[in-house]
Amino acid sequence: MVSVINTVDTSHEDMIHDAQMDYYGTRLATCSSDRTVKIFDVRNGGQILVADLRGHEGPVWQVAWAHPMFGNILASCSYDRKVIIWKEENGAWDKMYEYNGHESSVNSVCWGPYEFGLILACGSSDGAISLLTFTGDQQWDVKKISNAHTIGCNAVSWAPAVIPGSLIDQPSGQKPNYVKRFVSGGCDNLVKLWKEEDGQWKEDQKLEAHSDWVRDVGWAPSIGLPTSTIASCSQDGRVFIWTCDDPAGNTWTAKLLHKFNDVVWHVSWSITGNILAVSGGDNKVTLWKESMDGQWACISDVSKGQGAVSTITDSQQNEQ
Amino acid sequence: MKLKEINRTAIQSWSPAQHHPIYLATGTSAQQLDASFSTNASLEFFELDLADPSLDMKSCGSLSSAHRYHKLVWGPFGMDAQGYPSGVLVAGGENGDVILYDSAKIMAGESDVIIAQSDRHTGPVRALDVNHFQTNLIASGGNESEIYIWDMNNFGSPMTPGPKAQPQEDISCVSWNKQVQHILASASPSGRTSVWDLRKNDLIIKVSDHSNRMHCSGLAWNPEVATQLVLASEDDRMPVIQMWDLRFATSPLKILEHHTRGVLAIAWSLADPELLLSCGKDSRILCWNPNTGEVLYELPTSSQWCFDIQWCPRNPAVLSAAGFDGHIDIYSIMGGSSQAQSQRHISNSFGNMDPFGTGQTLPPLQLPQAATAPATVNPLKKPPKWIRRPVGASFAFGGKLVSLENAKPPQPQQQGSHVVHISQVVTETDFLKRSDQLQATLSSGSFVDFCQEKISAADNEFERTVWSFLKVNFESDVRSRYLELLGYNKEEVALKVTPCIETWLNGSVFVSRVSFDKREESVSVSAKVPPLLWRFFYLIHHFYAGVTFKILIKILSFFSLQDVDGLITQALLTGDFEGAVELCLHDNRMADSIILAIAGGADLLEKTQRKYFNKANSKITKLISAVVMRDWHDILRTCNLQNWREALAAVMTYAQPEEFSSLCDLLGSRLEASEDTQLQSQACLCYICAGNVEKLVSCWSRAQEGQCPLSLQDLVEKVVVLRRAVELTQRSGPAAIGVLLAEKMSQYASLLASQGSLSTAITYLPDNTNQAAVQQLRDRLSRALGHQAAPAQTHRAASQLPSRPAQHGSAPPQPPFSQVRPAMVPQPAAGAPAPTAPSNGWNDPPALTRAPKKKQVPENYTPPAPITAPILTPLGADPHTQPISSGTPQAMVQGHHGNQVQYAGMHQTQLPSQSMNPANPNSNMEGAPGAPTGDAIQPLQSIPAEKITKKPIPDEHLVLKTTFEGLIQKCLTVATDPQTKRKLDDANKRLEALYDKLREQTLSPAIIGGLHNIARTIESRSYTEGLNIHTHIVSNSNFSETSAFMPVLKVVLTQANKLGV
Repeated sequence: MVSVINTVDTSHEDMIHDAQMDYYGTRLATCSSDRTVKIFDVRNGGQILVADLRGHEGPVWQVAWAHPMFGNILASCSYDRKVIIWKEENGAWDKMYEYNGHESSVNSVCWGPYEFGLILACGSSDGAISLLTFTGDQQWDVKKISNAHTIGCNAVSWAPAVIPGSLIDQPSGQKPNYVKRFVSGGCDNLVKLWKEEDGQWKEDQKLEAHSDWVRDVGWAPSIGLPTSTIASCSQDGRVFIWTCDDPAGNTWTAKLLHKFNDVVWHVSWSITGNILAVSGGDNKVTLWKESMDGQWACISDVSKGQGAVSTITDSQQNEQ
Repeated sequence: MKLKEINRTAIQSWSPAQHHPIYLATGTSAQQLDASFSTNASLEFFELDLADPSLDMKSCGSLSSAHRYHKLVWGPFGMDAQGYPSGVLVAGGENGDVILYDSAKIMAGESDVIIAQSDRHTGPVRALDVNHFQTNLIASGGNESEIYIWDMNNFGSPMTPGPKAQPQEDISCVSWNKQVQHILASASPSGRTSVWDLRKNDLIIKVSDHSNRMHCSGLAWNPEVATQLVLASEDDRMPVIQMWDLRFATSPLKILEHHTRGVLAIAWSLADPELLLSCGKDSRILCWNPNTGEVLYELPTSSQWCFDIQWCPRNPAVLSAAGFDGHIDIYSIMGGSSQAQSQRHISNSFGNMDPFGTGQTLPPLQLPQAATAPATVNPLKKPPKWIRRPVGASFAFGGKLVSLENAKPPQPQQQGSHVVHISQVVTETDFLKRSDQLQATLSSGSFVDFCQEKISAADNEFERTVWSFLKVNFESDVRSRYLELLGYNKEEVALKVTPCIETWLNGSVFVSRVSFDKREESVSVSAKVPPLLWRFFYLIHHFYAGVTFKILIKILSFFSLQDVDGLITQALLTGDFEGAVELCLHDNRMADSIILAIAGGADLLEKTQRKYFNKANSKITKLISAVVMRDWHDILRTCNLQNWREALAAVMTYAQPEEFSSLCDLLGSRLEASEDTQLQSQACLCYICAGNVEKLVSCWSRAQEGQCPLSLQDLVEKVVVLRRAVELTQRSGPAAIGVLLAEKMSQYASLLASQGSLSTAITYLPDNTNQAAVQQLRDRLSRALGHQAAPAQTHRAASQLPSRPAQHGSAPPQPPFSQVRPAMVPQPAAGAPAPTAPSNGWNDPPALTRAPKKKQVPENYTPPAPITAPILTPLGADPHTQPISSGTPQAMVQGHHGNQVQYAGMHQTQLPSQSMNPANPNSNMEGAPGAPTGDAIQPLQSIPAEKITKKPIPDEHLVLKTTFEGLIQKCLTVATDPQTKRKLDDANKRLEALYDKLREQTLSPAIIGGLHNIARTIESRSYTEGLNIHTHIVSNSNFSETSAFMPVLKVVLTQANKLGV
């Protein structure tokens, strides 16, 4: 059951490419080919424009909210090869940092889990992935993985922080020894997993199943189970669910969620990690849920534009 | 950015878009000779493997051929039907051949690779195109205006599109329209372009600018607009690309001028109609937006001419360019640097070529190479269509889904609307429905109805029983209702049994009397005792007054079936009861001995009972022993678990109110520990009787595997109802939320949140837990609900944070995230605010507005109100709980963090010093609005007790209140042990139930009298006597009447006695 509770007219002058709510679901950030990023206060069904961020010189592809423990911080990436990190100070939004280290369009930005600190992964059409870590005093440490995906990285998504033992047992002040991992997808049709070892980023896994560009990847939030789950979607219309049960993270198995007739642009996990929203080229959004027996089923279909929903009947589902 | 290179002078064709992986087919070009002057020809296949960072392309098969080629096109024909899994490669040869190759076979190295072949054309076949709609159709163009349409299903007989154009000339290009399948265009070097309609089988329009300078080297239809095509001119005097619209075919719509010498080839991207590639004799490769005429991009090429250029149909960013310098280069137009790749040096490619054996390598054809810097290549000025993501629905907190809608403008010039929809996703409708029902029940308080509904809806016996047990809690006479549920309806049993028992009893009394009197009559009562015995207990219960042994003795008399002995008579006659008893015991005449012992006085009776129990050891004895000695622990510890119902029934009947819970617990634990899963689940019932929520949860969750929302709902319903019941009956007061329950409640809350039920979710969050996850969730919920904490007034509390009490040392409370806050992030140090604290401190506990209130607690502490009076206020009721404006000054913001620490600290430190009852954290957590948990499961609507205009306690009974309260206060001042303090504190609250009863004057005179007696003993500090009176009251009164306060009173008296106040 999906019902529209608020429709925000963004007044963007060109195509919107991404819209993301903040941690609390009270603010909405949008970005567009009109080169702007906008922030709306959407509490109580409202839509008050809070900020209109200008600074990019090309279409802005994605926005990402940092965890609020770091303040109100938003990252945006653009075709202009820049990543801009915006911060609200005293009610005003301003550039906190501008990263110009990519040679081509930056297609994806994603903040790491707050446990890792303020760290941003950026995937670019130049094939590289940059990792920007805030080190305090306006300083950002940059690490770059070159040639992560030949002719372009389209998406990055962090693994949830795996808690080694209980948080409470950690002596205060000492950071737990998290293993930082993220997943990326690119124009080489590959899904790649990356892992930080001794401060260096290394390719951990290479997952092959797609036969065309991987458009998006999404690492599912942890729901307390030892299983890691990743969704990937592709130009080839396929959405795969990758799971890994072994603690070492070496054995990944792919399960085809569905083969759509059109490019699949975006996948998004629900906060509880049990529902996957799949956005296709036909502007259709479908929601998928894993049943008890491990099969993925489409539970609803957010129709084009209307946000209205027709629950997929069995017969329809069989046709798909 | 260059991706790959192949050292061939060849024409090329990419594998069709449908084909994976991507291959490039190359065929030896008929027009060029390389440095070897070899006229050998071959077809080769290369795989585009982008995962391989090197410049090389892997060869996947080749074929030597007699033909050199002018044109290659690779169509998907046969790929679906598996006839030609890699489609068909169509080649135009220099001798007029059109050859169909089976690509898969060539790559597999097979020999019969030619599907069909025809030499119908008279001259070289320079033009070929595969129809986009009917992939079996190929158009070919040769000399003398020859154009053929070939059907691959019927290759032998090609058609013509119409009569040959006059004058006859070579055909340099053919191209199928991309929108209308029966339209074909052809062009010749002379510059004339013809458009054919195959349905009419005729030429429909000729396109020419009459300049006579257009020497057509390229022809391409607009992928989107059916009437538009571009023509490229090879003539150096007119190095242009013309864009024509057939609707206005008298002159070109647009002329793309940027090449300085003739254009050799063009390619229009099917993936983005705003991208048109051209390469020319000026050695440049340009990418145009043909609609605007703007050059979007110039490829960094070698300074060699490029004679063929192709977009990769499958990978829209990839293109290939074949140059006269003997290379095919594969580029990406997405920019980026090719730093990992070796730079090509022209000389290398000729490295081992020494065709004339002169020992000298050939000089490059071109001018010396400018050193190719690893130049960073700018991407296209305009982002290609394929990276402009038009859709993207993302989840947000609370089951929200944010989706984009980029409506196409109704007119190209107008602006489309660009809106974002925020939707609520609900996937667990049944779950939500049940949650709503539960909420409704909580607010209306109609628990009996709720339980009843559950009972009738239950789909299995166990579920029904559980709900029946829960329901009992809301009814009067709880214990006997429990008994009924266990299968013992008191009235029924009494009804059935009494007459018969009475007969027996009369008989036995008679017999006893007779045996006393005459001593020669033998008693012969049938010994069908065991089943009957139970009934006797109920009978006893029926008469229950606690210590009525008379009947018991009568029962016991049934067992004594022995003859009467003369010795006993003698002893009795001499008044030697002890002796007589000894004799009877010795002779196993238990009944006699007991009866005699009664006559002999209390001491003798007790002694005799002991001896009896020592001697006798049947099953029944144990029960009797338990009944008489009131030691139920023993029987519960040892009883056969199969008889747990009986055991529980016995506890129901006999156990003292204060031990009732622990006895039920005991039985529950035994059941839970048993092997039998059936029995394990029955433990739940015991826990319900015991009012032990925590154990119920653990027992239940053990039985229920999985995290299904509905099973969680099942559990929560029971927990909530039981907690409510416990509060109502006050059997044990609101229990603290244990770890497991807290976990389940958080799970439940996050599940509710995920379904958008945020305000309900927050009411279920346990607030006495230090788990970071719970605190995070609470913060997230309250912020999502718009309950932003108001800026706190001070932050001095943080620096006053006392060290944590030892008993909490194992799990110090943490403000959420405090542990994981990375060092480099500005964070407020306690008492030393950092200036860069995040504005709107993101996780301020919602409690802050009341922090000052809490501070008063130490000076002016009053015991918490009774739990019937929830301290909760409805969410957001506090007028100070206003959202902070985003412009909150830093200092104010800083306060949040300070207070947050204080919040945790206060809670902890108050416990020992203020005798707070941790079982009722709400009492000192009143600063947590919107965080009612635990006992807070009470409906928010329940009216605080203070607000009820209560009747005054009648003056004559006021003394009871003052006395009891006074005693508790006295104890509190003396007590040192926090646990005792808590106990007393709790007692103080729970005695409110007594005062209520006094107000309502519902207590029987006997009880009132007894209470006054107790009060008097308190005045005289003779607590032991008070306890005796207490016992008397309890044993002579109705359980339900006194259960709410008598156990509490006992605790107080016992403590007072112990403390000696």
